[in-house]
Amino acid sequence: MSTTSTSSPLAAPRDPYKRQKTTRSNYELYSWVFMRASGVVLIVLIFGHLFVNLMVGEGVHAIDFGFVAGKWASPFWQVWDLLMLWLAMIHGTNGVRTIINDYAQRDGTRLVLKGALYLAFVVVTVLGTLVVFTFDPCPPNALDYQLPSFCFTGRP
Amino acid sequence: MQTHQYDVVIVGAGGAGMRAALESSGKVRTAVISKLYPTRSHTGAAQGGMCAALANVEEDNWEWHTFDTVKGGDYLVDQDAAEIMAKEAIDAVLDLERMGLPFNRTPEGKIDQRRFGGHTRNHGEAAVRRSCYAADRTGHMILQTLYQNCVKQNVEFFNEFYVLDLITDHDLAAEDVPDGETVNATGVVAYDLATGEIHVFQAKAIIFATGGAGKIFKTTSNAHTLTGDGMALAYRRGLPLEDMEFFQFHPTGLAGLGILLSEAARGEGGILRNGEGERFMERYAPTIKDLAPRDIVARSMANEVREGRGAGPNKDYVLLDLTHLEPAHIDAKLPDITEFARTYLGIEPYTEPVPVYPTAHYAMGGIPTNVEGEVLRDGHNVVRGLYAAGEVACVSVHGSNRLGTNSLLDINVFGKRAGREAARYAATAEYRELPEDPAAAVIAQLDEMRNRPDGERVADVRKALQETMDANAQVFRTGVSLDQALSDIRTLQDRYRKVSVQDKGRLFNTDLLEAIELGFLLDIAEVTVIAAINRKESRGGHYREDYPDRDDANYMLHTMAYRRPTSAGDTADGHVDGYFDHVEEFDSYKIVLGSKPVTQTRYEPMERKY
Amino acid sequence: MTATLEAPVGSEKTEVGAVPSFEVTIKLRRYNPESEHGEDAYWEEYTVLAHGTDRVLDALHKIKWEHDGSLTFRRSCAHGICGSDAMRINGRNRLACKTLLKDVNPNKPITVEPIKGLPVIKDLVVDMEPFFASYREIMPFLITSGNEPSKERLQSAEQRERFDDTTKCILCAACTSSCPVFWTDGQYFGPAAIVNAHRFIFDSRDEGAAQRLEILNDKEGVWRCRTTFNCTEACPRGIEVTKAIQEVKRAMITRAF
Repeated sequence: MSTTSTSSPLAAPRDPYKRQKTTRSNYELYSWVFMRASGVVLIVLIFGHLFVNLMVGEGVHAIDFGFVAGKWASPFWQVWDLLMLWLAMIHGTNGVRTIINDYAQRDGTRLVLKGALYLAFVVVTVLGTLVVFTFDPCPPNALDYQLPSFCFTGRP
Repeated sequence: MQTHQYDVVIVGAGGAGMRAALESSGKVRTAVISKLYPTRSHTGAAQGGMCAALANVEEDNWEWHTFDTVKGGDYLVDQDAAEIMAKEAIDAVLDLERMGLPFNRTPEGKIDQRRFGGHTRNHGEAAVRRSCYAADRTGHMILQTLYQNCVKQNVEFFNEFYVLDLITDHDLAAEDVPDGETVNATGVVAYDLATGEIHVFQAKAIIFATGGAGKIFKTTSNAHTLTGDGMALAYRRGLPLEDMEFFQFHPTGLAGLGILLSEAARGEGGILRNGEGERFMERYAPTIKDLAPRDIVARSMANEVREGRGAGPNKDYVLLDLTHLEPAHIDAKLPDITEFARTYLGIEPYTEPVPVYPTAHYAMGGIPTNVEGEVLRDGHNVVRGLYAAGEVACVSVHGSNRLGTNSLLDINVFGKRAGREAARYAATAEYRELPEDPAAAVIAQLDEMRNRPDGERVADVRKALQETMDANAQVFRTGVSLDQALSDIRTLQDRYRKVSVQDKGRLFNTDLLEAIELGFLLDIAEVTVIAAINRKESRGGHYREDYPDRDDANYMLHTMAYRRPTSAGDTADGHVDGYFDHVEEFDSYKIVLGSKPVTQTRYEPMERKY
Repeated sequence: MTATLEAPVGSEKTEVGAVPSFEVTIKLRRYNPESEHGEDAYWEEYTVLAHGTDRVLDALHKIKWEHDGSLTFRRSCAHGICGSDAMRINGRNRLACKTLLKDVNPNKPITVEPIKGLPVIKDLVVDMEPFFASYREIMPFLITSGNEPSKERLQSAEQRERFDDTTKCILCAACTSSCPVFWTDGQYFGPAAIVNAHRFIFDSRDEGAAQRLEILNDKEGVWRCRTTFNCTEACPRGIEVTKAIQEVKRAMITRAF
């Protein structure tokens, strides 16, 4: 061994551990806050929904096509249910996303599971939104007794 | 094998090592080699505090602190060094605070201070509040703070590397180097525990900060890893060890376990009681009672037990009583030690007194250095490029008995000085050539140990050593008991040559390292006992029942123990004085005891009363 | 005066009234790539004699010193202050030197495994480098600006109390390696790094809180915490780890809005 060798760059005593990448944005912060905020709003929306549907008046026996059609005829309930749909879907999807992040060990598994999750999110949310907005309370072929009363106003 | 070059190599990453690293790493290329991760070092186990005459809560000055240190060390302290330490203590504490150490605070927001054993106002009038503290975790905070600042400064650490040899350009162990001749330290050889690979570090300056050797005793507050590595390496390479007969026994170790309960417990008002409930320290130290220096308290406790006034079923311990203190006060000031009592003995200190007994705690002796941390190879010649600081070193600021808190001070003050000096020296010095195959001896030693046929177990030999040391060289010693210890150690040295390890692997072979460490322990125990046999007086931590008085006429000298081949001359440094002419010859080497004068400046030796 | 010995050589002190000696079986998860088992981890059981106040570490020492010298584990201070011997004992992260055998039901075999989530090197020894790397990333040191004061920085007792809990950390990794998020995602900073960030973020003398919060705002930062409280339960120093993490989260939200 030569002892007079010039001081060459030295091998580190151990391979240093490296963080793969840093991802510093407020994305996780907002998603964390969103989860808590949407949770609170959802409690109000869901319990309000349950109260109106199950408790008021005749309660659960009042629910039929007419009842639903009646509600969605009003912009208030349209907005209410739309909000409930979107918040529940984003809240739930985000929750499942963190579970996948926590428990999927391999990148491939994680990708597949998240892909399936996002697909399900898109399908449910798009369909749900379409239903809320394109709902026709008085469909032409329906039997009369199923329809809400306002479908008959103005009829002969 | 790998070779590295660093301007400064620091061996040991406890308080002294990291304090030195903070000084040198900013200026020159520095590596710290440690057999543990830095935050595992035993500095972290220190509890009570770090004394400095800040005078934040009451009148105080560094001169009183110097006096207490000198008197506490039973006048075997080098007074110039003690003065430096007491003076620089103030900056050492403030440095740590500025580095971020979370000290407890006074109502004005300044660093709080509390009483501690042996620290007094105006030369012994009464106990003074001098110890700066962070609950009962001051050592933990110091260790963390120093490591944090090493992270900040990007200090290079080689963790879990065992230094197994020191390289110098003269073989001091084989030859008597003439007075005035320059001897240089050139490097160290280390063993990487994780891979079993040998690394040679070539360095301009080397700082030893490897800590103590408490594991020569069975009942000890020291970590399993405190096996006197640095002391033994220097000693085997022919450097002297100074004042090894002085070992401190901390009064309040948990009975039977040795786990430390800080002196702060008494500083905060705790009282020692014997089996009859008597506050016995009133008899031994009427003025400062339970806050007398550790050697006195430990001896008093052992004496109570010996005279049949111990507590417990076997009457083999005394009691530390905290029950008169407010639980809230205990929680605020002594949270950790009360938890130790709960965890390990199942005792609730709020309501029950805690069984305690002296535990081997601190080596006052070690590698002799001057006040700049430079290692001495005899009474006055230094080894160029070799420094030591902390418990491994003997400056000597502790004399024959260290005062509580002065160890944390020692590591900070002299760690800093050693680091600064090493960096200053390394900045201009050249690398010196290493021998042809610098690691040959270490590799041969390891291979030999690994390949021995089945023989003695490491643990059996170590246990026998620790038991004989506890029985024969503890708080009370006599010529007879020490001779017994020495003959036991000789037998164990023989058995050690037949020790075999079961783990023959390369990866993380702690079995092998424990065997190597046992060799260090045996050497340190041997030199401790020989120095103790030779000091026929009682002083500080060294109490000889056959010579119960201090003998300043003959023994106001530091012991210097050298290991030499049997063929070498008997005067290691050319001038062996007075009673220090003892030569102990064994089959392959002999131990020559020389002496070094004690530096006295202001204080004339007086009788030591508290 | 005659030599008075505390105890004759070789005599074992047994305390009267203490729990008597008992046999205990330790079931160890072992791994030694140099042995005949190669890359496979395996279980091995040892039965040793233990005394009343013996800890798991004492049992491990007994195995190493009397039965199998190749058993490998880290230890140093042996009283819970150095943080070397964190391991998984009966499925929970603890320090071997702080766990009394009698407290972990010695009637059944006691399982001892290395802590999870860090690469095992040999037996109970894991590679601590990733753990310390995360610690170093959060800038665990006091950051100040301006001139150094000539005396100490002032800090009230209340300000000191604010971060007292997190100054107790001994970096043993019991918390981080008890965290289910860390088990599957070694990139997560982990509780210990956050605890040490907390120690400085809430120190009134420190001026680097914003930088540390920025670092921990990472995808792998505090937001990965699922508040399972494993860390708080594992901490041998009794630090309320989960609470500290929540406080860091709160500080980030206050900063963002």
